[in-house]
Amino acid sequence: MDDDAHGSAGPAGDAAAWTVLAYLLTGPLLYGGLGWLADRWLNTNPVFSMIGIVGGMALALYLVWFRYGAPERRPPSASTDASDNTE
Amino acid sequence: MRALLAASEGGGFEAPGPLDFWQPLVGGDSQFALTRAMVVAVISVVLISGWLLLVTRRLSVVPGRAQFWTEGVYGLVRNGLARDIIGSKDFLQFVPLLFTLFILILVNNLFGIIPPILFPTMSRFGFPLALALVVFTTYHVVGMRRMGVGGYFRHMVPAGLPGWVVPLIFFLELVTYFVTRPVTLALRLFGNMFAGHILLALCVVGGQYLVFDAGSPGLKVAGVATYAGGFVMTLFEGFVQFLQAYVFTLLSALYLAGSVAATVEH
Repeated sequence: MDDDAHGSAGPAGDAAAWTVLAYLLTGPLLYGGLGWLADRWLNTNPVFSMIGIVGGMALALYLVWFRYGAPERRPPSASTDASDNTE
Repeated sequence: MRALLAASEGGGFEAPGPLDFWQPLVGGDSQFALTRAMVVAVISVVLISGWLLLVTRRLSVVPGRAQFWTEGVYGLVRNGLARDIIGSKDFLQFVPLLFTLFILILVNNLFGIIPPILFPTMSRFGFPLALALVVFTTYHVVGMRRMGVGGYFRHMVPAGLPGWVVPLIFFLELVTYFVTRPVTLALRLFGNMFAGHILLALCVVGGQYLVFDAGSPGLKVAGVATYAGGFVMTLFEGFVQFLQAYVFTLLSALYLAGSVAATVEH
């Protein structure tokens, strides 16, 4: 597990960790927020908020898995951050 | 005012809180007030500029003590951060930014424990946010210049995703790149400086209350222990202040490395 594809090597691993955290925060907040707006508009509170939070979290996890979790599936341009920079 | 209020109600301890960080000096309580944090920031810029001009005006091959220390800090940022992280091909253009960030944050952080200033500028959120915005503007401009605006936005979404999920992921990436990452970079520095300073203030104000106002001898002893704790925490805070300046610069370098590295692949 010490190859850079898993983002665990040195400072680049730290960058990957912070990026993962950013995704996991953004997903539920962003889509939960959109769901909340939809609820206010359609008076369906809290249906779309719930869907947004869960869906956003799922989307963020999927993105993290796609970028960092599956090296054999990862296309060469999959990662755009500093985790590419450890060679 | 709050102290007077507390006194008129028969005493009671007022713990330091977030309001203690809002210290307008000129202009009253308005949003255009000149605050203590602004004055401290200006003092730091004057001191840093003066120091660097003074030291670099008379450079010698065998450095004196001042030149030795200044070169040490510069070398830490140039070689230890910029070159190692960004790579020897592209790092030089980012060294001025990273060195400025590091030394500005370091001095402003250390002001939190250096008398008579005793105020960490970065405990007001606007300051770290402004620095993070400078870093991320550079980050995006470098990326867009190398890839073109369209190419830059295209590269945010990893290739090979199923088509229906691409718009959702693109929106998620967009907000992560433009909002979450700058805000978390700024929040980390702000939170550390804010919490550290409030802890020190609590030790001093609490110690003073226990020793002079609390009454019973047992509480006086506890007050002395609180002061001692405050002294230890001040040393620890000095370490945190250096570390946070380093971490902010490190992460800035990592992000900038990302913008350079991503463009190499295309």
